[in-house]
Amino acid sequence: MSEISQNAVSGGIPAWQGRAVARALAVAITAALVAMPFAAGGSWTYLLGVCFANSIGVLSVSVLVRYGGEVSIGHVFFVAAGAYAVAILEHRLGVSILVSAPVAVILGVALGIAFAWPSRSISGIYLAVSTMALALALPELINNASSWTGGYEGLYVSLDLIPGAPKGLQRYYLPLVALLAVAYALGCLRQSRQGIALLLARSHPVAAEAFGITRGWARLSVMGISCGIAALSGAMLAYASSTVSPSGLTLWASIFLLVGSVVSLYGLTFLHAIVGGAFVTLIPQFLASAGAWIPVLYGVALLGVILAGNLGPKLRDAVGRRRSRP
Amino acid sequence: MTSMQPTPLEGQGIALSFGGIKVLNDIDVAFQPGEITGLIGPNGAGKTSLFNCLTGAYRPQRGVITYGGRSLDGLPTSARAARGIVRSFQTVALCPDLTVLENVMIGLARNGSAGWLSAFLPLPGRAWEREHMRAEAKAALAGLGLGDMADMLPGMLPPGTLRLVEIARAVLGKPSVLLLDEPAAGLNVAETRDLMRVLRQLSTPELVMVVVEHDMDLVMSICDRLYVLNFGSFVAHGTPDEVRRNPEVVRIYLGSEDD
Repeated sequence: MSEISQNAVSGGIPAWQGRAVARALAVAITAALVAMPFAAGGSWTYLLGVCFANSIGVLSVSVLVRYGGEVSIGHVFFVAAGAYAVAILEHRLGVSILVSAPVAVILGVALGIAFAWPSRSISGIYLAVSTMALALALPELINNASSWTGGYEGLYVSLDLIPGAPKGLQRYYLPLVALLAVAYALGCLRQSRQGIALLLARSHPVAAEAFGITRGWARLSVMGISCGIAALSGAMLAYASSTVSPSGLTLWASIFLLVGSVVSLYGLTFLHAIVGGAFVTLIPQFLASAGAWIPVLYGVALLGVILAGNLGPKLRDAVGRRRSRP
Repeated sequence: MTSMQPTPLEGQGIALSFGGIKVLNDIDVAFQPGEITGLIGPNGAGKTSLFNCLTGAYRPQRGVITYGGRSLDGLPTSARAARGIVRSFQTVALCPDLTVLENVMIGLARNGSAGWLSAFLPLPGRAWEREHMRAEAKAALAGLGLGDMADMLPGMLPPGTLRLVEIARAVLGKPSVLLLDEPAAGLNVAETRDLMRVLRQLSTPELVMVVVEHDMDLVMSICDRLYVLNFGSFVAHGTPDEVRRNPEVVRIYLGSEDD
C-alpha cells in the first residue's frame, strides 16, 4: 500500500495508530467506569448511571445526523416512549427491565418508522421543526393519559433486574452495559452493507437510487434505528433514576440531547457518547452552585468543548507533520 | 441480471420538456448489447437528460423505453437498477466518509441477503457477506489498476482516479446496461488512455454500454456506434467513420475545416 494510504484519515499520524490510541483509551475508561462504584459514593454512581442513559440518547441523535444527515429537536418523544414502556409494563404486568427494555426498543423503532413514513419527503429545517412538534405535544399526551402514565406525578420503576443484588449497583451497571452494547452495535452497523448504503444515501441520494438504495428505505431505516436507540435511552433513564415523569421529558431535554450530540462531534463511539452524555448530565451538576450564572457558564463550557473538539484534530495533524519531518 | 438474454435498450418517441423548453423531441434510439455506443453532442443537447429518462430519474412526457422486451414505464430508478441498468454520473458521486473499497462495495449492496439483525451483531452470515463483497470489490479495483487505493478516502485522490472508482462501482454488480456520463471529464491524456483500455476490457457480448463524452478521440476510438444529439433531436447516427463524414455533424459539433 502506498505511503498516502497508510497515512489516511489523520494527515500526519497513521490511521492505524490513531485507532489504536482511541481503542486503548476506550478500554482504560471502561475499566475505570467498571471499578468506579467501588471507589466512589452512591451519589456518583446514581449520577453516572443517568449519564450512561443520556449517552445512549446522545448516540440516538448522532445516528440521525451521521446516517441521515438530519437533525431532530424532538427526540425526547422517543425517549419518553421507552421510559414509559418500562414503567407501564412494570406497573401493569409486573415485568422487569429484562423484558420491558426490548419491548421499549421495538416500540421506539415502530414509532420512528411511523413518524418517518409520512415525513419521508421532508428534510432539513422542516423535518427538525416537525420533530419539535412531537416534543411540544408530549407533556399534554402524558397528562391526558394519566391513568396509564401517572400524570404529573409520573411512575416509579422499582423492580430490580437481579432480585437481592444491591439496587444502586444494578442501576449503575445496566445502563453502562447498554451503552457499551449500543456503541458496539453501531460499530457493526458502520461495517455492514446497510451501513455503507445509508452513508451513500445521505451524501448522494441520486447515486444511491441508481444502485437500488431508495430514499424512502434510507429514511425509514435511519429513523427506526435512531428512535429505537432513543427508546432504549429512555428505558435506561427510567431504570437508572427509578422514576419517570413529564417534568424531565420536555423540549429542553431534546435540545440537550442535540447539544450532547454536537459536543460529541456526532461521534458514534463509546468515548464520543460518554463525552456527550457527561456534558448533558454532569456539567449542570458542577455548575449547580453558580445560581443565575448557570446558563452563561454552560454556554462557555459548550463553546470550549466544541472549540477543543474542532482544534484537536488540527493540533494532532500539526504534531504528526512535525514528527515526520526529517 | 446478466442471466437475461442479451437484448437492446430501446426508446421510441421519447419526448421530454421542462415548462415550455423542449429537451428531447420524440427521439428513437436502440442501444445494442455487445457494442459500445457513444452519445455525443454540444452542451445542452439533451444527452444527460436522455440518460436520466433511461434510468428513471426523469419521466418523459411521451414515448416508451423498453429493455428485455418489457416496458420500463413507471419503474423507479431503484427498480431499473435491480434489472441491471446502472449508470455513472457527470460529477463524481462517491461518499466521502467511505473508503474507496467501501464505495465500490455499494455496487453489490442490492444483492445482499444478510438481514438487519446481522447489521448490528457479529453473525456468521454478516461476516461471509462482507468478505464476499470486499473480495469482489478488491478484484474490481485491481482490474482497473486501483488495488493500492482500496483503503484511501475519496478526498485523497485525483478526479481521474475517482472516475475509475465510479466505474469499478458500476461494473461490480455485473450490470447488463452500463451508462457512463462523461467518464473522461477531468482526466489527463494518460488517464484517458487508461480509461479507453478499461472500457474496451469491460465490453462483453451481453453488455449494453453507452458513453456520453465530449472527448472525441476517446469516442471515435472505442465506440462501435455513435448517436449525435443537437437541441434534443438526433442529427446523425452510425459508425464513427460515418458520423465523422456527416457534413451536418461536422458543421454543428466537430467544426468545419474553415473554423
